[in-house]
Amino acid sequence: MAVTTADGTIGPKARADKGGIAWSSVILNCYIGLFFIYLFAPLAVMSLAAFNAYEYPSVTQWRGWTLHWFGELAQDDRILQGIVNSLTVAVGVIVVALPLGLSGAMILTRLNSRYNNMLYAVLVSPLLMPGIVLGISTLIFWGRAGVSGGLFLTVVAQASFVASYCMLLFMARLQRQDRVLEEAALDLGASSFFMFRRVTLPFLRPTLITGAVISFLQSIENYNTTVFAIGGDWTLVTEIGSRFRFGLSPVINVIGVLFVLVTIVAAVAYTIHKERERKRKSIR
Amino acid sequence: MTDLLRSYGRGLSWIFVSLTAFWILVLIVLPQGFMLETSLWDINRDDQLGMKIDRAYSDLGLLEYDVTAAAEADKPAIQAKIDALQSEIADLESQETDPPREYGIQNYTKMSSLHFMIFVKSIVYALMVTALALVVCYPIAFAIAKVAPPQRAALMLLGLVIPYAINELLRVYAWLMILDYQGVINSVLMWLGMVEFADKSWIPFLEYSGSVFVALIYAYVLFMIFPIYNTVDTLDRNQLEAAKDLGASTFKIHWRIVIPHAKPGIAVGCIMTFMLSVGSYSVPQIMTRGKSGDWFSQLIYRQFFEAQSWNVGAAYSFSLVLVCLAFILIMMKVFKVGIRDIAK
Repeated sequence: MAVTTADGTIGPKARADKGGIAWSSVILNCYIGLFFIYLFAPLAVMSLAAFNAYEYPSVTQWRGWTLHWFGELAQDDRILQGIVNSLTVAVGVIVVALPLGLSGAMILTRLNSRYNNMLYAVLVSPLLMPGIVLGISTLIFWGRAGVSGGLFLTVVAQASFVASYCMLLFMARLQRQDRVLEEAALDLGASSFFMFRRVTLPFLRPTLITGAVISFLQSIENYNTTVFAIGGDWTLVTEIGSRFRFGLSPVINVIGVLFVLVTIVAAVAYTIHKERERKRKSIR
Repeated sequence: MTDLLRSYGRGLSWIFVSLTAFWILVLIVLPQGFMLETSLWDINRDDQLGMKIDRAYSDLGLLEYDVTAAAEADKPAIQAKIDALQSEIADLESQETDPPREYGIQNYTKMSSLHFMIFVKSIVYALMVTALALVVCYPIAFAIAKVAPPQRAALMLLGLVIPYAINELLRVYAWLMILDYQGVINSVLMWLGMVEFADKSWIPFLEYSGSVFVALIYAYVLFMIFPIYNTVDTLDRNQLEAAKDLGASTFKIHWRIVIPHAKPGIAVGCIMTFMLSVGSYSVPQIMTRGKSGDWFSQLIYRQFFEAQSWNVGAAYSFSLVLVCLAFILIMMKVFKVGIRDIAK
């Protein structure tokens, strides 16, 4: 703990009562430790039950280790179809949300109007509204046009707020853009389409990728909006949701284990990539 | 506008403008508008309508028999009656297929006291979740941003991102397993000899609102950490050093330097946590499993998919929008931040 204070972060206090233990940092570290236990212990409980040979999800009534539930999952047609549906919706959301987010960001960064703040407020409002409201309003509006709930409405409902996420990402990137490059391209006789394709889009490429990934994750994970817009169809997550009322079994825990594994692998890979980039930058 | 035109020309600018207009109109404003409109009327169905139509048809049958049997002189009079009856039937039938709408705020005002109590309960619990999450998260966010050395901070962020990225249903499900009748806590209590499964003397945690509260906190606590972390991270360490050297207490450093700097992050964290908690359908659905008392989001769901009263459902849903809007405005006022600071 002394290391923490010695590198000069909250240093002076440690220096003041030198020799003694910095109780404040001990308490802080214990607190952080407890918080992480709080975050991970429930996930461990859930994951462990996937390996219990007992038909009701439990870790306390232990009937021995088994992989039976993994096999059960592989044969569960509704869940497999749910995964296909989730992926379909996610691709649809990416296709709709990225162009909308980019357009919104372009207009907000290039438009100097007194209505700018109002426009901004409208475009981020889907993020500040409860998910169920987005699902409901989509259901009502398209219901009037004769479209009932299903995968299409799910794409529409999710895209309304995912586009806002994309817009914020694009805006952050566009604010760091050096406009001189665009102007130079135009001065040298490039058409605006050509300039957009060869100068602006390459500059935005990292954000396009991040935006697609975030849209994908937001779409796959979404429940509160989807449950209202999905109608008689289902995605992986709404199928999981309906299992809580009917037919709760360790198959859900198996899905949980897979989610945890995929997330850990992805997050660790991302962090290592980031750390490498940070080191490369600090060397330069 | 000229800026946009100059850089991207007419073609591209037109695409950007029309896509944004499509987004605003078709995905945001019109759906909300129609939801509001739907909440402002209900169908005034006449319970006797079916019977009236049946009676009119039987009268019509009699008259049609009369008209064939009657003397030639009486026929025009009876025919006139038939015509009148037929137009009445047409009128009644149009009422049946397209009942008249009654506009007004009745969907809001006629909320039963039970539903109103649930509405209030959901708001109060969401406020408590927000307050507790703020207290719990602030030290963590500060520690990661300013106390921990870079590598450990990266590791801690990783530790936050992993549960954050795991589906909220599964995270809530973990708490269902912990608090279930024969769940982890009751099993521990049984091991301690305090409850007995055989005579079902376990503690029914899932029947208390507290279990939804616990799961709400667990599900949404991380939405408080990241915004606060992001703002505290941009605070210059030298400011903290200077305050320390000038003899400021830890409390004073936080109250006068860190918190004012983190205001936008705190506001965003509170708004997100409150909004997610008050509008959460997943958490109460899983924790109550549709068996113990409903939360407001569940009431709304039932209006749409069980009671088929979309007008009432729309009114409840719009009430939720108003609550969130009020909360956002209060937060902006309290923390003196603009809309631009909020959604970043």
